[in-house]
Amino acid sequence: MQVFLQVAVAGVLKGGLYALIGIGMTLIMGVMGIINLAHGQLMMVSMYVSYVLFSSLGIDPYLTLLVSMPALFLLGVVIQKFLLNPLMKAETILPENQVLMTVGIAMVLTEIIRFIFKSDYRSVTTSYSNATFFVGGISFSMALVIAFFIALAFTGAMFLFLVKTDLGRSIRATAQDKDAAVLMGVNTGRITVITFGLGAGLVAAAGTLLAPVFYIFPDIGGPFTAKAFIITILGGLGSTVGAIFGGVTLGLAESLGATYLGMDYENIIGMTIFVLVLLFLPGGFKRLTKV
Amino acid sequence: MKKSLPPLVLLVVLVLFPLVVRDNYYQHLMILFLMWVVIGSGWNLIAGYTGQVSFGDAAFFGTGAYAAGLLSMHLGISAWWGMALGGFAAVAIGLPFGWICFRMRGAYFALATLALNEVMRNAATIAEGFTGGMVGILLMPTFVSKIPYYYIALALAAASIACVRIIASAKLGYYFVSIREDQDAAESLGIDTHFYKMVSLAFAAFWTGMAGTLYMNYMGFIDPSVVFSLHDISIMAILVGIVGGVGTVYGPAVGAFVMIAVQEFFRSGFFGFFQGLGDMTGISAFLSLSGLLKQGHVLGFGILVIVVILFLPNGIVGDWEKIRRKVFRLRPTGEGA
Amino acid sequence: MKVLKSLAFTSFVSALVLCVGQAAPAAPIKVGIVLPLTGSEAAFGEIERNSFKMAADEINAKGGVKGNKLELLFEDDTGKPEVGRSAVEKLISRDKVPVLTGGYSSSCTIAATAVAQQFKVPFLVTTGSADEITEKGYEYVFRLNPPASEYPAAVTTFLTDVAKPKTAVVLYENTSFGQSSSKSFEKILQTINVKLLLKEGYNANSVDFKPLLTRVKSLNPDLVYMVSYVMDAALLMRQSKELDINPALFVGGGAGFTLPEFYENAKDAADYVYSATLWSESVPYPGARAYYDKYKAAYKQATEYHGAEAYASLFVLADALKRAKSLSPKDIRDALAATDMKTAFGPVKFVSYGKKTQQNKLPTFMVQWQKATLNTVWPRNVATDPYIYPVPKWSARK
Repeated sequence: MQVFLQVAVAGVLKGGLYALIGIGMTLIMGVMGIINLAHGQLMMVSMYVSYVLFSSLGIDPYLTLLVSMPALFLLGVVIQKFLLNPLMKAETILPENQVLMTVGIAMVLTEIIRFIFKSDYRSVTTSYSNATFFVGGISFSMALVIAFFIALAFTGAMFLFLVKTDLGRSIRATAQDKDAAVLMGVNTGRITVITFGLGAGLVAAAGTLLAPVFYIFPDIGGPFTAKAFIITILGGLGSTVGAIFGGVTLGLAESLGATYLGMDYENIIGMTIFVLVLLFLPGGFKRLTKV
Repeated sequence: MKKSLPPLVLLVVLVLFPLVVRDNYYQHLMILFLMWVVIGSGWNLIAGYTGQVSFGDAAFFGTGAYAAGLLSMHLGISAWWGMALGGFAAVAIGLPFGWICFRMRGAYFALATLALNEVMRNAATIAEGFTGGMVGILLMPTFVSKIPYYYIALALAAASIACVRIIASAKLGYYFVSIREDQDAAESLGIDTHFYKMVSLAFAAFWTGMAGTLYMNYMGFIDPSVVFSLHDISIMAILVGIVGGVGTVYGPAVGAFVMIAVQEFFRSGFFGFFQGLGDMTGISAFLSLSGLLKQGHVLGFGILVIVVILFLPNGIVGDWEKIRRKVFRLRPTGEGA
Repeated sequence: MKVLKSLAFTSFVSALVLCVGQAAPAAPIKVGIVLPLTGSEAAFGEIERNSFKMAADEINAKGGVKGNKLELLFEDDTGKPEVGRSAVEKLISRDKVPVLTGGYSSSCTIAATAVAQQFKVPFLVTTGSADEITEKGYEYVFRLNPPASEYPAAVTTFLTDVAKPKTAVVLYENTSFGQSSSKSFEKILQTINVKLLLKEGYNANSVDFKPLLTRVKSLNPDLVYMVSYVMDAALLMRQSKELDINPALFVGGGAGFTLPEFYENAKDAADYVYSATLWSESVPYPGARAYYDKYKAAYKQATEYHGAEAYASLFVLADALKRAKSLSPKDIRDALAATDMKTAFGPVKFVSYGKKTQQNKLPTFMVQWQKATLNTVWPRNVATDPYIYPVPKWSARK
């Protein structure tokens, strides 16, 4: 029982962070229908931003959030405006060009970082990186607990933003029906740019929060892109609450699966869930709750 | 007939190539190029013609490669028998693959194929006892000279292109295209879209699997991260198709050539051009430039991908008119081929 | 007039002969070296490349090989076996090198040596450690470094003499090195009567080991043996501390556990961790300490066993080239087979035993992290510091 509780706790905490990674992607996919295979790489860039600020200026990662998030927001805006928006207008036989563009972007981001920082592993080790506290024999990682609550806060903020503000409503309108939104006077070009920026900013937060706990190297992005997809599909496109659900579910599934089936199955578990959800619950959690 | 002339001339050139160019290095590049023509043609069938963009073709490639390798590893049979089996083994994998993935459309289909690609890769890594895991399978290639491999690759490439050409001008090809353009309309016209999608996938799997067995026999070493690689095989296949031109018979060939040439170009620092220039003149700037190019070879490749997608979204063959107009600015458009 | 002409002619010809005569012995001997110079293993490729260059400079300063300088031709295998394969082919067919060395990751080494064997050019393996590399009976392949299965030789005697664990858990990364090493350590455990409770692989570059470690904790083993690269090693130790796992000892199988980055990333979670190792700067081999100091002075960073392997490899090649009857690959191969010398990495003599051929047999050592320094603690006769055992529990530290 001890093992189960410990693993479950670890899974849920991990899930909070995953949710933060997923929210960005669910927005992008929900609003623009863009499959962003560069999502993990955006996170990687933000990790390096935090690393640079930490190692050269000694700024704590929680503070670098204030830098990495806007920085990645801008990067996202630039990417969407100059590289992705033009594609949406082009006449092509296959619509998947945009996915490939993100593949190219992912490659370029990874290699630029590798060029500057080499492939060496870097880490951001703070006083609380290794800190744990115990509740009834179950250990809780301090850094992950804090990240979990910050992730919840961001999700809540995002939810309110989408529901209560004008801009948020425009985003949701564009997600529901782009043509209708245009007819209603929404500047969809601007909306897509802002949405991509927001998505990038959110995943940047995940990266910064993750940095003290794990380590940083140029290729760290790939697996996280995959996780973001799984979470997005699990939760349903465009649903913030779905992202939390998806993140926690994935975190738990990975932890429990890795413990009881074997750690080498970790990746397979995620992928299998992914395919199963695509097959049997295509709308994701969102379909069950309509949020 | 006139339309067939350039390809036939090219074929003759390719047949004569290894006899004229004796350099091992260039022969190797050509073999890789021919292998990618096969993979690209396979992908083109399922994605370019039938509109189902697969991100998981490495699953077929790896299956073909392991079919050959495992025969040797477990049964002691020469890996060349894999050539007979590999294509069919890949088709056998393709059937459940398609059954799962074809329930979805467009982007979801693409993601599902990606997921299955990764499942296969992980499974091959974990099943140490069966596949050798990450230690991989090592065979001694049968021929020291590259020439036999070259001709086998050429035969496969020519066959795959001929296959695509025949399908494209037959009813089968039109069924594929109708599914791509509007699956529901096709269904309502009485075309069994599910069946034809499977047929298209079977062809794609077959060719890609054959390329995999060629790889095993030629390279002599495989492991899951090499042959089931998402980036190096699946995504490369897509790039070959898109850069060349989807839905065209010769697109993959052009794409394969460009991608291999560009990749090697960057990796060797413009084929050692700057290195040579630096050695000759002693100007260290050239040497540093050469070093930088080699260090950043993947970066150069990535930038190229972005540029091509932005400006030539239908590929080189697909956007050939556009290229002609830009390059030969004086000529009016509409000049027939 | 005629005399003048013939005089001029004779002096011209003699001058020519003199020039040609002078020019002849200056032809450099090319050595092909395959390393990961880009990609995720580039850091180690760098260390090895620098070490090879250092060795070449030293050898050439002393006159090279019979007056001929060594010229190193590096090729980048980018960490991928098929690129490694092409790199070796290029070195053999275009650059016409008569001898090859290098080989970092096991999978690249396996592919590269197969090509060398195919073309019958001798290849001296520097680092690739999977046992399979010298189990194929390739007469053109020699290996300087011990195979992965022998890394824990010193650890084994420590276990039988001092620690005497009854149960063990083995964790390893799913790479050629990890899968190969863990299999052989499993066999070792059987021979010393230690019960293996769990043997599990994980995907390299995993970030979350907690599920695995939670299970390990519940099994309560005496020994936890890990085969990992540096970042996984650091995470394993940090998360073990987080979960408060207290086996009698943690032992690493070399590789990641002996690098300075391990301590930098794991910090106090790395204390008291043991590891198998092939070399440290304090081993009693001629030139070991000198190599370490010289490298640190020249490159401003520490070196470790990979660099020492590279450094020593070139000296072995130079020695073989000196003894070779000619510079044909076959004669160089025969000269290599007869090698018997001491290097900064240890004594080198290629022998055949068990399934292995042309493998250098070296003792290995055990080190322990004690207060942020890596000290050689076993075997007793080469230990620089005493080992600390039993190891204090996490809660008892600080």
